[in-house]
Amino acid sequence: MLLGALIDDAGNGASSPAERVRDRETMQRVAEGDASALAAIFDRHARAVFGLALRVLEDQGDAEDVVEEVFAKAWSQARRYDADRDPVSAWLLTITRSRAIDRLRTRQARPDTAPTTATERALVELPDTALAVDHLVVLAESATRLRQALTTLPYLQRMAIELAYCEGLTQTEIAARLEQPPDTIKARVRTGLHRLREALTE
Amino acid sequence: MSDPQHEQYEGLAALYAMGALNARERTAFESHLEICRTCVDEVTALLPVSHGLAHAAPPVEPPEALRVRVLQSVTGEIESPLVPDRETMDDMFASIEEPEAPTVHIEEPARSGAGTLFWLAATLLLAAAGAVGWYVAELDRRVTDLRATVDAANALTVRANTSLAQARTQANERNVVLNILAGANVERLELDGQPIAPRARARVLWDSDRRMVFLASDVPALAAGDVYQLWFVLPDGPASAALVEPDAAGSVTTLVEVPDTIPLPVTMAVTVEPDGGMPAPTGDIYLLGQVN
Repeated sequence: MLLGALIDDAGNGASSPAERVRDRETMQRVAEGDASALAAIFDRHARAVFGLALRVLEDQGDAEDVVEEVFAKAWSQARRYDADRDPVSAWLLTITRSRAIDRLRTRQARPDTAPTTATERALVELPDTALAVDHLVVLAESATRLRQALTTLPYLQRMAIELAYCEGLTQTEIAARLEQPPDTIKARVRTGLHRLREALTE
Repeated sequence: MSDPQHEQYEGLAALYAMGALNARERTAFESHLEICRTCVDEVTALLPVSHGLAHAAPPVEPPEALRVRVLQSVTGEIESPLVPDRETMDDMFASIEEPEAPTVHIEEPARSGAGTLFWLAATLLLAAAGAVGWYVAELDRRVTDLRATVDAANALTVRANTSLAQARTQANERNVVLNILAGANVERLELDGQPIAPRARARVLWDSDRRMVFLASDVPALAAGDVYQLWFVLPDGPASAALVEPDAAGSVTTLVEVPDTIPLPVTMAVTVEPDGGMPAPTGDIYLLGQVN
């Protein structure tokens, strides 16, 4: 059931059918240019968006810029949002990850910027300073399980998954970053993902 | 159906699910996916985990200034954070029995109610000083009407504030529940439905600070005058934990205070008791979770 919740709500903070309907209706109002509707969407999903941006970028200013970009895109492209395809927050988090990774790469490409050392980072290490109140209990529980399961993965498995998700690195890039053979990375990502899945379906 | 060349793609499903293949590898693997059921199944199994990683980053409260900045730059408007969204406010006010406010046309909409009153009062004094009787009477009527409007608005505000306070309390409780569920060291106890309520199920979760939440579903509706009561079942007898009130669908989420004297984990049970609860269980056991 927990995995089902993640499948249904991948990236989604509004999990109940009623909340999805409400999100969908609110997005329709955003598409019509209703500023109060965008404010409502911001209030419902900004915590998740900011949390993910901060996780990827590890920089408050950059993360705030990404939040602004994400909601600017939600405002300008609301008409293109396909409610049948993704829940609103899945859509927002997909944009967030993409924008955050773009910004991260730009930052890393700048010669005056020290390369990010991801080796000590972990999704679980950021504090839970706040939680969106509209998270469904079961989804929160799934997220908790996933977060806990990440902590139990061996270092290479966890880091390989982290680098793929948070920095959008390919197998080859991860291998270079972690100074491991590509085949090792392939095996670690596979084993790690299967272990996370097991943790969610236990 | 599996591709005879499956071996060379072994293990790529996970990298594909994570988006960690380069363009050339991805194209080749997608061709392979068209003929390899094994890899399709693996991708299907792992994609939700990959997508779910978005949830693994803990939500973080953005600074209020960011909200203002985003809404101002994106839409050119700022919505008050105290008014979460229109639906919520609509729902809230729908539950308030709104008095029929008198219709008053205020000529200077930019002024606040109090400011307008002050302005009218000042004008009233000036008019009185000029001994223009009919004008004084007219202004006096308008001040009276305006005061009635303000009083009605104040009454609405008081009611709205009460509803807001209740909503904030509920939101705070939900926050506590979610903090418990999202905590790093959550422990749990499953409660099984007993023969009188075989479909009922429940779960108790608590964190290292002994904050506990009780969640149940498919709990049967009770007759009027009865209530469900949750118990800590201790070696020397049960101790009341909480009264729980399922909704119409038979679901309930309740925060439970755990006294320092209660050891955790502890066996827990739910019984039906007379309204208001009992000092010791007297009714049937509907749910039971035993510590081994």
